[in-house]
Amino acid sequence: MAALANEPAKLLSNEPVGPRLFLMELESPYIARTILPGQFVHMRVNQMADHILRRPFSVYRTDPGEGRVVILYQVVGYGTDYLTGLSPEADPAIELVGPVGRPWGARTGGERADAGRVLLVAGGVGAAPLYLLAQQLVERGAKVDMVMGAQTRSALVTLSDYRERLGIGVECATDDGTYGERGFCTGLASRRLDGGCASDGAPYDLVCCCGPEPLMRIVSDMAAEVGVACQVSMERRMACGVGACLSCVVDTAAGKRRACVDGPVFDADEVVWR
Amino acid sequence: MMQAAERLVPRPTKVALAVDLGGLRMKNPVTVASGTFAAGREFHDFVDVASLGAVTTKGVSLNGWEGNASPRIAETPCGMLNSIGLQNPGVRHLLEHDIPWLESIGATTMVNVSGHSFQEYVEVIEALEQSQAVHAYEVNISCPNVDAGGMAMGCRTDSVERVVSMCREATARPLIVKLTPNVTDIAEIARAAESAGADGISLINTLLGMAIDPERRRPQLARVVGGLSGPAVKPIALRMVWEVARAVQVPVLGMGGIASGADAVEFMLAGATAVAVGTANFVDPQATVKVIDGIADYCERHGVSDVNELIGALEC
Repeated sequence: MAALANEPAKLLSNEPVGPRLFLMELESPYIARTILPGQFVHMRVNQMADHILRRPFSVYRTDPGEGRVVILYQVVGYGTDYLTGLSPEADPAIELVGPVGRPWGARTGGERADAGRVLLVAGGVGAAPLYLLAQQLVERGAKVDMVMGAQTRSALVTLSDYRERLGIGVECATDDGTYGERGFCTGLASRRLDGGCASDGAPYDLVCCCGPEPLMRIVSDMAAEVGVACQVSMERRMACGVGACLSCVVDTAAGKRRACVDGPVFDADEVVWR
Repeated sequence: MMQAAERLVPRPTKVALAVDLGGLRMKNPVTVASGTFAAGREFHDFVDVASLGAVTTKGVSLNGWEGNASPRIAETPCGMLNSIGLQNPGVRHLLEHDIPWLESIGATTMVNVSGHSFQEYVEVIEALEQSQAVHAYEVNISCPNVDAGGMAMGCRTDSVERVVSMCREATARPLIVKLTPNVTDIAEIARAAESAGADGISLINTLLGMAIDPERRRPQLARVVGGLSGPAVKPIALRMVWEVARAVQVPVLGMGGIASGADAVEFMLAGATAVAVGTANFVDPQATVKVIDGIADYCERHGVSDVNELIGALEC
């Protein structure tokens, strides 16, 4: 994997795209060219002086040729709320440490990412860290299906990218029933796992899931029941982002592991769910 | 393959930056606060770790500790709370994996030593004595996040004297004792450490604090309380360094919210011989080298040819 860098990043755009959801585009050439699906960036905004820590963000899309990375973020607290006020005109000083972390499929040296049939399960903004993986899988000729859950239709902001840019079949569920099936996407995931790959009905080789921890735990259990390997992307409060501080640990069968560099992608059967 | 940003090294300067911290010869006055830098490797993409005055490792115990439950950190205005709980894989792992790496790059190394009992501190030091690449010990009797040992040991003069004297008997290498600020009289504790044989005093460790999520009516840390660090604690740390530097003859390693060369100079003026960069490493992984350069900048601007001239030079 590429060496870590602390790269000054130019803000190109920062727009609301859904309920409490913003799309931020940054010029960050080194990270755009080196980041692997599942890895993340650790962002510092110098003006946010009263809150000093960086914020980890998964990268949604990249344009390696133009040196651009796109981040989809949800407003959840002080830091993300502060970000919504940034604009290219104000020219905020942003730095990204990256590319950080263990990518999807890392345990078997990429073999899993080469799996022939892959089911992606995304809950809410968890759809973002799966996009680069989906793109890689499609380019490699894998058969990819996806189920996606959100609170409401307007929160399904990545849906068109998956369907139109990548041509992936996506089934949706919304909590309020405004699009797709009413309820959580776990029901869709269960039926997909039972029915097999949409294109040929054969069992999946791999499930990759990102979203709220209860969703990942349920999907992990369902995948284990049908004997399909599963990976999840874990989120924790994080200070250093480079593996030094041990603030972001995840309980695993091998003990407490760092979400930043031992993850964020973990094999689901290794996670001790809380 | 795209190249990463260049690994930062201190810029050349004519200022003499070397200091002697109780027998630990440092090429410049800057080390790191234990627990913020692992054993250096994690930051080597960003800075030349060997260019630091010393690398202070994360606290190590005899057989390793699992640490506390998550969440382990909470952000506060101008600082952070942590309750990591000294998670570490044990001294054997440090000796086999981290010390050889530090030696291979030519780093000056100070190992932070922890224990749940007086005897455990001694056994950790005895294990480390076999390595010539360990140049000094920082005895941590100040961690607020462990139930046995740690801060409880560092709050009373009798226990401070006992653990320091036992460690003193175990080694002839420089022995720096790290104190907790969570005491009534820091100078009294420092004098106890000095009288028991400490070669230097390191301070401050974190201040005990807490943070609450009012929406959930829950503490933000799983352990409820944790240690506050970052710029928020700097005035307290400066005051304590000033008090201790006047109370003892041995040198002081100052830390607490240092993020720039100017911050470091303040600590040296207050009496510190060397300084440690802590939380700033999380904010800027190149902070250490920037602090070294900042000290040199200050000295050049003020006509200071040797950084030792700054130590205790506060005019008041």
